[in-house]
Amino acid sequence: MDSLDALQDFIKSQNNFTNYINKSNVPDVCKSEPCMLGVDEAGRGPVLGPMVYGIAYCPINQKKVLESLGCADSKALTEEKRDDILLKMLTEKEAVDNVGWIAEVISPNYISNSMYKRAKHSLNEVSMNSAISLIKKSIELGANITEVYVDTVGPPEKYQAKLKEIFPDINITVAKKADSIYPIVSAASIVAKVTRDHALKVWEFHEGLEMNYKDFGSGYPGDPLTKKFIREQIDRIFGYPLLVRFSWSTAELVLLEKAAKCSFEEIDDEITKKPKGTQAISSFFSPKNERKRKRHKFFEERNLTMSNAFE
Amino acid sequence: MSIHVENNLKDSTNDEIFKQKAHYIPCKIEEDGEANVKKYFEPYIVENTNGELSATFRGHSLDGVKLCLPEGYKAVLVTETKRPLSEDADRKFQIAGGLGDITYWNWDKKPSKNDSLVRALDWIDIAEAIHAD
Repeated sequence: MDSLDALQDFIKSQNNFTNYINKSNVPDVCKSEPCMLGVDEAGRGPVLGPMVYGIAYCPINQKKVLESLGCADSKALTEEKRDDILLKMLTEKEAVDNVGWIAEVISPNYISNSMYKRAKHSLNEVSMNSAISLIKKSIELGANITEVYVDTVGPPEKYQAKLKEIFPDINITVAKKADSIYPIVSAASIVAKVTRDHALKVWEFHEGLEMNYKDFGSGYPGDPLTKKFIREQIDRIFGYPLLVRFSWSTAELVLLEKAAKCSFEEIDDEITKKPKGTQAISSFFSPKNERKRKRHKFFEERNLTMSNAFE
Repeated sequence: MSIHVENNLKDSTNDEIFKQKAHYIPCKIEEDGEANVKKYFEPYIVENTNGELSATFRGHSLDGVKLCLPEGYKAVLVTETKRPLSEDADRKFQIAGGLGDITYWNWDKKPSKNDSLVRALDWIDIAEAIHAD
């Protein structure tokens, strides 16, 4: 991969309703020298498009390569500047020979599916699993990782303890705003952000919608274009095209108002279940309906009921 | 009251009309009408190497399997142009087509013999045993 066009072509060749991984070769020097590795994510908040996890790694004594690339707080960089830095990471010899990276694109469909599992899987769990799997992957590929820096939005302590348990031989630092403190995390952040931006740019709707990012915007719920998309691109039955994270309250609320009502099987929540034998006090005053005959278990288990023909 | 089912499609040369696809979705959808299945649902059906199917509906992951009808049975669709006002009047249905292919979907759970729809078909054997001459 030696250009942003090649990055776009790669993204287009993947299934945008599943997760996929994009990665550089492991520079030889990263196999021998001890390396630091940074982890960051892009697109956690948006209601549209994938969330991308990125890692970048390089020898501990090659920090200056990151600095000369311009890896600093990625939020302070413009989109053009970020594109420019990633392009350098893909093409400039000094960068290619020293800095390796991996990105995991987590599809909006995977996010919705995870949050709507029978046993719910939160966005935090999805995030943590992705970060862990990317660190593991870099090690499997032969990189000699000795230090890991992770940017987090949540409380760092628990996250750090978990990573320490999984990677006991690695020095782990989890910090808020690590992106602006550690250049290796900035590099990871740039990998993630640029990948997400381009994933939105080349998004193709399997539903056949002739729209692009100029129509649906950045994907953040506050973006007027995104708002418009969420209010207008509704199918009464299916809800939204799979660019949308169905599990975001922004999307849920609009569907509740504008699409056909859909109810899935209720999952008993152990906590909210009333203890056995407790009857609501109102039940003592309600008319008794003893006369309704109970169906035999055989029919009940099979959801079979007697009904007038063709009713 | 008796029920008549007419089949005006019996001589139709269009085979396809009796080979339509149906999807059993594990969700109550409060709507009656056409659904854009080809655009919004079918692109996302994936068959893995074990022949297991997966798809997604309203953000929920689905696990599916092709359902076989019991031998000797067919699934047909009927319509009624006008429902009589009286409960006792005869009713007349027209065959509108048939199903060649039913895919049965569970929400985030592999389909199994214990699912109620599969077990509901047990009734066919039992009914035969009860009502056979």
